[in-house]
Amino acid sequence: MKLKRVAALAMAGTMAVSLAACGGKTDEGTTTTPGTEQNTPTTEAAEAPQDGIISYADLNLDSDCKDLTASISFFNNRTDLDSDEYKGTTWKQYIEAFNKDFPNIEVKVLTSTNYAEDSLTHLQSGDYETVMCIPAVDKADLSTYFMSYGDLDTMKGQVNYADNWMYDNQVYGVPSTATTQGIVYNKKVFADAGVSSLPTTPDEFIDALKKIKDKFGDDCVPLYTNYAAGWTMGAWDDYIANTATGDTTYKNQKLLHTKDPFKDYGDGTHPYAVYKILYDAVANGLTEDDYTTTDWEGSKSMLNNGQIGCMVLGSWSYSQMMAAGDHADDVGYMPFPITVDGKQYASSGPDYNWAINANATDDEKQAALVFVKWMMTKSGYNYNEGGLPVVAGDTETKLDFGSVDFVSDEPAVSGEEDLLNALNADSELNISNGGNDKIQQIIEHAANGDMSFDDIMAEWNQKWSDAQETEGVEVTE
Amino acid sequence: MAAAVKEKEPFNLAKWAKSRKGQQALICAAFIIIPLLLLFVFTYLPFGKMVQFSFFKMKYTGRRTYVGLQNYVDVFNRKDCFGALKLCLYYIVGALIQLVIALFLATILSFKVKGGNLFKGLLFFPYLISGIAIGFIFKFFYTRGFVFDTILQWCGFKLENLPYWLKDTSVNNWSLVATSVWRYMGQMMVLFIGAIMSVDAELYEAANLDGANKFQQFIHIILPSIKTIVTLNIILAITGSLSAFEQPFVITGGANGTGTYFVIMNKVAHTSQKVGLASAMAVVLLAIILICAGLQQLFFKFVFREADSDEESYKAKKARLKAEKRARKAMAKGGK
Repeated sequence: MKLKRVAALAMAGTMAVSLAACGGKTDEGTTTTPGTEQNTPTTEAAEAPQDGIISYADLNLDSDCKDLTASISFFNNRTDLDSDEYKGTTWKQYIEAFNKDFPNIEVKVLTSTNYAEDSLTHLQSGDYETVMCIPAVDKADLSTYFMSYGDLDTMKGQVNYADNWMYDNQVYGVPSTATTQGIVYNKKVFADAGVSSLPTTPDEFIDALKKIKDKFGDDCVPLYTNYAAGWTMGAWDDYIANTATGDTTYKNQKLLHTKDPFKDYGDGTHPYAVYKILYDAVANGLTEDDYTTTDWEGSKSMLNNGQIGCMVLGSWSYSQMMAAGDHADDVGYMPFPITVDGKQYASSGPDYNWAINANATDDEKQAALVFVKWMMTKSGYNYNEGGLPVVAGDTETKLDFGSVDFVSDEPAVSGEEDLLNALNADSELNISNGGNDKIQQIIEHAANGDMSFDDIMAEWNQKWSDAQETEGVEVTE
Repeated sequence: MAAAVKEKEPFNLAKWAKSRKGQQALICAAFIIIPLLLLFVFTYLPFGKMVQFSFFKMKYTGRRTYVGLQNYVDVFNRKDCFGALKLCLYYIVGALIQLVIALFLATILSFKVKGGNLFKGLLFFPYLISGIAIGFIFKFFYTRGFVFDTILQWCGFKLENLPYWLKDTSVNNWSLVATSVWRYMGQMMVLFIGAIMSVDAELYEAANLDGANKFQQFIHIILPSIKTIVTLNIILAITGSLSAFEQPFVITGGANGTGTYFVIMNKVAHTSQKVGLASAMAVVLLAIILICAGLQQLFFKFVFREADSDEESYKAKKARLKAEKRARKAMAKGGK
């Protein structure tokens, strides 16, 4: 009898559960069609600023939204700022300062070392943080995920690089910091090796590396590649456009239509010259002995201590190298050694952009706007991190590049916004988009001597041409 | 007729549910539906989706275009996909070496050995370390002039004669395989010890009386008794080799000729965002694994033929029945 009662109870339980499940389904069915909430673009997200939300441009941090109570989350890639050992300002300190101004807005900070991939997963799930750094999404999908800050003309008056994540004249991201592309080096090592003036051409650069090798021998690696970390290799892609051509339309417009962009132009410019520096340095033994076991964290203090001559990395690395040891004054940042018609260029561009979840509630959106604008204008985040100015009209920065021209990439022409992404994916060269392995292969071939540099470039040209054909792109010489 | 139907009680759901038979059926259903649902939602549904993806040209986000079998054609035409499968041979060789060492140590440790439990613990320990940590340990272990080179120098090797363990493409895959063997050998050994423990001790005694030495005991008593678990471990090791991922991904990032099939797949899926192609690669790998498993089954059937005597007698019985039937038919025909 007891058994029967237990069984009856269990049965009643299961039936109740299944009934509840049915009920839930029908309820949803009558109010909204399932699925529309998450993944399909809603038109209201594209129209911004929405009713009741003070837009980015109109928001006054000294008077508005002081009583707003909300809880927002903030997902980004700076895991180092999560640690109390970070020598600069940590996230905890920023949030504390923010809560002094806006005590009722709670900000939860989430970071990931694998941000580029994790963030895409979050987006795809439909349940993602209120404020995020924009990962590699197609621009056409921006309005599905993120709220617009306003139209381009308005935002241009507020921030630099406003067009970076722009679609249909709406701006979806504001730059967290702006960086430039050069070489981080140890001033003392260069001076002691007898390099009196900074190299401005590939040949001078290789000569300088040779001088360092002759002077220090095994005590100092002239150029540390950071091969093993991978992404440090992909960084080389950032020099092939403005820096190597002086042409601001090169990356997003010309490159897409150029036949054989990796060919030798013969004058030490264009992508060929950039990658050739790496190949020559490795072939001449001017890089570390065993590239497969390089250590990124260790390389910072090695550069700081003068065991490394230089590394090819964006200016974001400058502050980290200075913080990595006792010789902050020895660390310098120089332009990339390519001169186009007697002039050196440095491309400057935004780092990750902050964007706001389009599916958040109005209160959360407003709180997120307050937070983003506060981070931009009041936190000092950009200056602390050694960035170039991101707020329009601001001039404060730690970088000093002398007579070098700062230029930034023009956006793609209308209708070709996603073409670079498509060509990257088809060719699998993934230029400035995580294409680390192709540059690692340059090092492997240079070290093993099993493939000449011209052959590597010819192979890339072939891949690029095939991709252009697949996408049906018009090609010019 | 009509009255008869009326007399028979119509099917009553409530009553049936209360009856013993009904209760049994309902409870069985309630219990079985939960694991089945979990299995479906977390295994078969994602798998079905993956097969579906493999027919599309798509990224994680954005539009999808149906391309039919193009992705499969690409998998077979690309140099890197099947080139990567060759690396599995390294891991398969490693797996076999691992099996031999594990079997050897397990046999020794399952007899009375001084400090046996300590050795078991020490050998099993690597399996407990997280794969990521192992990656970091071995990156430093193999770094030029670090741990491994230092140990070899103590043994009299000269640094200039030693290869670069991860840089030199002729040895770097072996370095990774060694890491894998180091990690999984202990686990395999523990499984073997468990199996050997279950062998009846009287058999050893009898063998001793007959004058069999330890090696003969191993060949004729231990090995036949634990062959099921040996077979299972070989199958697991070979499928594991085909899908080797952790060691190359963590230690070298798949660079310098160490990119196994899974590492390439990860690169295709995440860096180039060719989700369709990566899904097709996964489906192809699944097919390869299924074929390998099938071949292994055939192989072991051949090797352990006498084990299948039951099945043979079943076949014989079937043949006998068939023959009888034929004979009866023939008789019936003859009778006509």
